[in-house]
Amino acid sequence: MARMALSDDELACIQKSLADDTEAFAAFVKQHQKMIHALAFRMTGSLHDAEDLAQETFIRAYRQLASFRGDSKFSTWLCQIAVNLSLNWRKRENRRGEIHSKWAENAVAENSVPEEFPDALSRRIQAALDRLPPKQRAAIVLTVYENCSHAEVAKLMQCAEATISWRVFAARQKLKRLLGGFHHE
Amino acid sequence: MNNSELDSILKKARRPEPIEEFWEEFPKQVVRRLNRARVEEPRLNTRWVPRLAWGMAIVVCITAAFAIGHWRGRVDTESVASNDILQNTKFVRETLALFPNQVRAIVRDQHGFNLDLASTSDVPTSTPIYVSVCDGKNCSSCVTFSGQEVQVAGQKLTVLSDGLGGIILMGDHFIWSSNRRVAMGNSLKIEAKNLSSITL
Repeated sequence: MARMALSDDELACIQKSLADDTEAFAAFVKQHQKMIHALAFRMTGSLHDAEDLAQETFIRAYRQLASFRGDSKFSTWLCQIAVNLSLNWRKRENRRGEIHSKWAENAVAENSVPEEFPDALSRRIQAALDRLPPKQRAAIVLTVYENCSHAEVAKLMQCAEATISWRVFAARQKLKRLLGGFHHE
Repeated sequence: MNNSELDSILKKARRPEPIEEFWEEFPKQVVRRLNRARVEEPRLNTRWVPRLAWGMAIVVCITAAFAIGHWRGRVDTESVASNDILQNTKFVRETLALFPNQVRAIVRDQHGFNLDLASTSDVPTSTPIYVSVCDGKNCSSCVTFSGQEVQVAGQKLTVLSDGLGGIILMGDHFIWSSNRRVAMGNSLKIEAKNLSSITL
């Protein structure tokens, strides 16, 4: 196993975790929880769902730890798990949404960002992100909020770099339309 | 709005922050879930999952191949048995036509085919009779005529046909009748029938 992208501390932590030392793994959770929680929130638009997704991400990571090859940063690997889980979460949510009536759909849309945002701009930006298709949202969240390059996102989402570039482009076009007013405010 | 302006707007978005205790509690919750899951079901070492999957796949393939081979083998054996060439009308008719009234028997055993011919053309014309005899694994079959004496599976048999289409086989130590379907006095597996579809 090549652990090139890992520090000695991380390597030791992984080895302890592989030996079923959950406390050692808790150190990992503590180190990366805010990043994963933020990513999950951007993907779901809900604090409650973000908490569930973040927990699920770490649980999944612990179970798949042996398959972590160490050729990327541990945080990148966690992001990959979180993004995949959030894409599946979106699919589940979409399926659930399909069985609602039009009225209920509108009600959900209006209340899709029910959290106590610090300001109106933050609320509106999250609402705009929520209106992006999940894969476009993942691409824009990773590039803008996690400062990943298109190549990194492509590796993380296991697709071509050109695909990510296109998703980012399409997401930007839509966000510009949705957030156009703020530019002049 | 250009891309950098959009990015700067997006980066202005702040998230509703969970309370500070949340971050203290979150790792503990994860650990609790891990411990609970470990108690409920032993953690499957994921390193073994692909190997286990491959192993299972190989076992399934071998089992399937064995089952198919076994099945085909059975089918082939059965088809050979039921499609004994001596029951092939064309084969028998053409062989008999080569030696009119001379063929006493066409015998097939583990060494191949033997043609038992009379020195003169005095074999009476009648319906050919197919006889198959198995003595353990030693099986032989023949096509002959009523009244002929043949050597099949090491048994010397006299083949007789009655007027009603019944067949009687008389060996040195037994008698077999197609009407009774049992051999008296031995444990040979015997089959005999008229090849009435062959008209000479």
